[in-house]
Amino acid sequence: MSTSPTEQVSGVGGRADGNGRPPGLAGLALPSRIKLQEYALVGVVLALVVIGAVLKPDTFPTSDNFRAILTQASVVGVLAIGMTFVIATAGIDLSVGSVVAASGVAGGLVVDSGAAAFVGGAIGFGLGLGLVNGTAIAYGKVVPFVATLAMLAIARGLALLMSDKSPISLLGSDGVRWFGTGEIVGVPASIIIFAGIAIGGWILLNRTRYGRHVVAVGGNREAARIAGVPVRRVVFSVYGLSGLLAGLAAVLLSGRLASASPVAGELLELDAIGAAVIGGTSLAGGRATIVGTFLGVMVFAIMFNLLTQLNLATEWQQIVKGAIILGAVLIQRPERI
Amino acid sequence: MTEPILEVRGLVKEYPGVRALAGVDFEVRPGEVHCLVGPNGAGKSTLIKCVSGAVEPTEGQILIDGQPAVTGDPSRALENGVATIYQERDLVEDLTVAQSIFLGHELRRWGLLDRNRMRRETVEILRRLNHEAISPRIHVRDLRPAGQQVVSIARALSRHVRLLIMDEPSAILDDSEIETMFGIVRRLTAEGVGVVYISHRLDEIRRLGDRVTVLTDGRTVASGLPATTPADKLVEHMVGRKVGQLYPERRRGDHKVVLEVRGVRRLPDVKHASFEVRAGEVLGIGGLVGAGRSELLRAVYGVDDREAGEVLVDGRPVPPRRPDRSIAAGLGLAPEDRKSQALLLDWNLIKNVTLADVGRFQRGLIRTRVERAAAEEQLRALHTVPDDGTRMARELSGGNQQKVVLARWLLHQCRVLLLDEPTRGVDVATKAHLYRLIADLADRGLGVVVVSSELEELCGFCTRILVMREGELVAEVDGAEATELELLRHAMPDRQEMLAQTAVPAAAGADAGQEEV
Repeated sequence: MSTSPTEQVSGVGGRADGNGRPPGLAGLALPSRIKLQEYALVGVVLALVVIGAVLKPDTFPTSDNFRAILTQASVVGVLAIGMTFVIATAGIDLSVGSVVAASGVAGGLVVDSGAAAFVGGAIGFGLGLGLVNGTAIAYGKVVPFVATLAMLAIARGLALLMSDKSPISLLGSDGVRWFGTGEIVGVPASIIIFAGIAIGGWILLNRTRYGRHVVAVGGNREAARIAGVPVRRVVFSVYGLSGLLAGLAAVLLSGRLASASPVAGELLELDAIGAAVIGGTSLAGGRATIVGTFLGVMVFAIMFNLLTQLNLATEWQQIVKGAIILGAVLIQRPERI
Repeated sequence: MTEPILEVRGLVKEYPGVRALAGVDFEVRPGEVHCLVGPNGAGKSTLIKCVSGAVEPTEGQILIDGQPAVTGDPSRALENGVATIYQERDLVEDLTVAQSIFLGHELRRWGLLDRNRMRRETVEILRRLNHEAISPRIHVRDLRPAGQQVVSIARALSRHVRLLIMDEPSAILDDSEIETMFGIVRRLTAEGVGVVYISHRLDEIRRLGDRVTVLTDGRTVASGLPATTPADKLVEHMVGRKVGQLYPERRRGDHKVVLEVRGVRRLPDVKHASFEVRAGEVLGIGGLVGAGRSELLRAVYGVDDREAGEVLVDGRPVPPRRPDRSIAAGLGLAPEDRKSQALLLDWNLIKNVTLADVGRFQRGLIRTRVERAAAEEQLRALHTVPDDGTRMARELSGGNQQKVVLARWLLHQCRVLLLDEPTRGVDVATKAHLYRLIADLADRGLGVVVVSSELEELCGFCTRILVMREGELVAEVDGAEATELELLRHAMPDRQEMLAQTAVPAAAGADAGQEEV
């Protein structure tokens, strides 16, 4: 939840006892649950790093490896930021993995006109599919789960259709490949972009009216409506944002692979949802944290990297990932029975 | 004098850091209605939970029929004949009446549900409650609140009950439905059942109760007073000092019309409504639950669509279905149900206060320091406890949550406040405080509309009172001259005999019950 920033900035812990008031029944202020979860996640990330350094002292704790981890994380990370906004409104976007594939292919179709056309095509196509989701959900009153499940199928179909079922090579476009291999002052471009989206997402969620409205819609739709929040427009917009970021993720992914594949991005929605949820964003809406999502992405990325270095089969990685998500949700479940 | 059914001696309940009960003594005799009153947070709910076995007391004794009861075990309490009807309706709306009554202790035969016997016994119990008109086969959702409450009581009776605990049973009922419920309580006490009755409405204590116990800060400050004890005396016990008048001086109002409602219609709830609100006045809207009052407020404010009619603020029309435009024009709505319609319980107070108007703090980004200062200024002005804006809305008492909602609209400098049941579920001392605050808002030049089911409070401090009946405004009464009886006469459907029946509670109860089917 975005209460924490308020507390930080104003520099007041804001607990009952600080005011010299006896803590009444209502005065047992609980530490914000999101805060606790974020601290715990920082601990988990550090623990994973330590475990990696102990088990693989030569290959794990190296700057090259950390660059690899962050580069790997950037695609899921960008998706997870968008997913956090969607989940904050008590929604879900199951279509992002397919939208990544369709956006990449859409960009690939126009790559001959240059890297800018590729980027514009991919992001524009992602945004378009996201807005279709948004229209169906906000104005057509389709349940998010169903609407985006349908889009999951549609976007994958579009990707296969537009690419004639085979990957489009992007080897000819240095501009596109820069998104996968390029650097800005020594830091991989994809990491910079991910960091920028994360920081931008944090500001948008915690420091703008729009972000306040997003969380309000998820926390109590009726109360938000009565308070003048344009509920439908907000719901519409988060799916657009999610689609747009899926387009951007397609750019990062295609740049790294130097091709746009119609079968790319499978199960990416699982990683994005999982990262947001283990970060502390509530699937019930009304509680969202970008910092948590970032940490959730890092947990997955480091775990993936470590298990690969330990030569654990991908089947095991899937099982571990699922178990982490389940565990995180169990921890989060409300105290009420 | 008969042996008490329930005796509570020196009961103490400690939670980490809090003493919710600090020595409570209390007894209930067979066949009596023992009322329990006290401000919010006085420990009434904790006391009930101890008696019903939901929580384990730290110290003290609970005696049932003179025998020490096993504490902390709800099923043992039920076996001892202690049944509790909690404030929140706890029925599953999709079940039928018979299923609801036997939920959790279904009757079985050969391992299968014995539905016939459950239905028969349901009919039997409902007959005992004089509500045989409720069919055991209809769904709970199709009953009105009063009918649902009859089912809750029937559920308690489906087990052998000696002591019935009722936590604010009247909060969701209107005046005629309350009579229905009183009728049932009187039948039960005639059978020798002891009743613990919790309510914030002191008039109910006079009408129904035999004795009163006042609880404050976890202690019994007065135990077993006669129910005829005057209201001011009870309030004095509660707040520990003399309170001034319950109601503030009646505001006269200005001539300037701030809100004009012309022929608003939203079927089936609102058939036709026209009225004006002047600056500086408190306009009451009374009527029975279901008369369309809340729906009228929502249509005026524009959360719900209007099929016809116009709403003008300061002479300028406000479009329907655009709460944001209503807010910009100067309207504010404090809805009936604070928790589900007004507040984000897991948000802090700052964000709850600024929700309708965060934009004004945004210069590029939200300036949280300015936001906090502005929100806390409003909270302080309304004497909200706590006024520390970083606290969660969930932690506040009902009265203070209501103030958070008021603060939201004051921050926005709204011109007309529409308050739907602003004092529901709030204790008497806080009510007096809210009345004063509302009157102060009128002094600032706001037009205030108060919808309430408590006709007494409307008579107490409104400038004018409109009465709504079956979707139409049927009467306007000057506040200073209004009486509860007159308002009730306007509010009741057009049959003189209905009025006669309210005077005889049991009969009215039976009649209201018929409508449920």
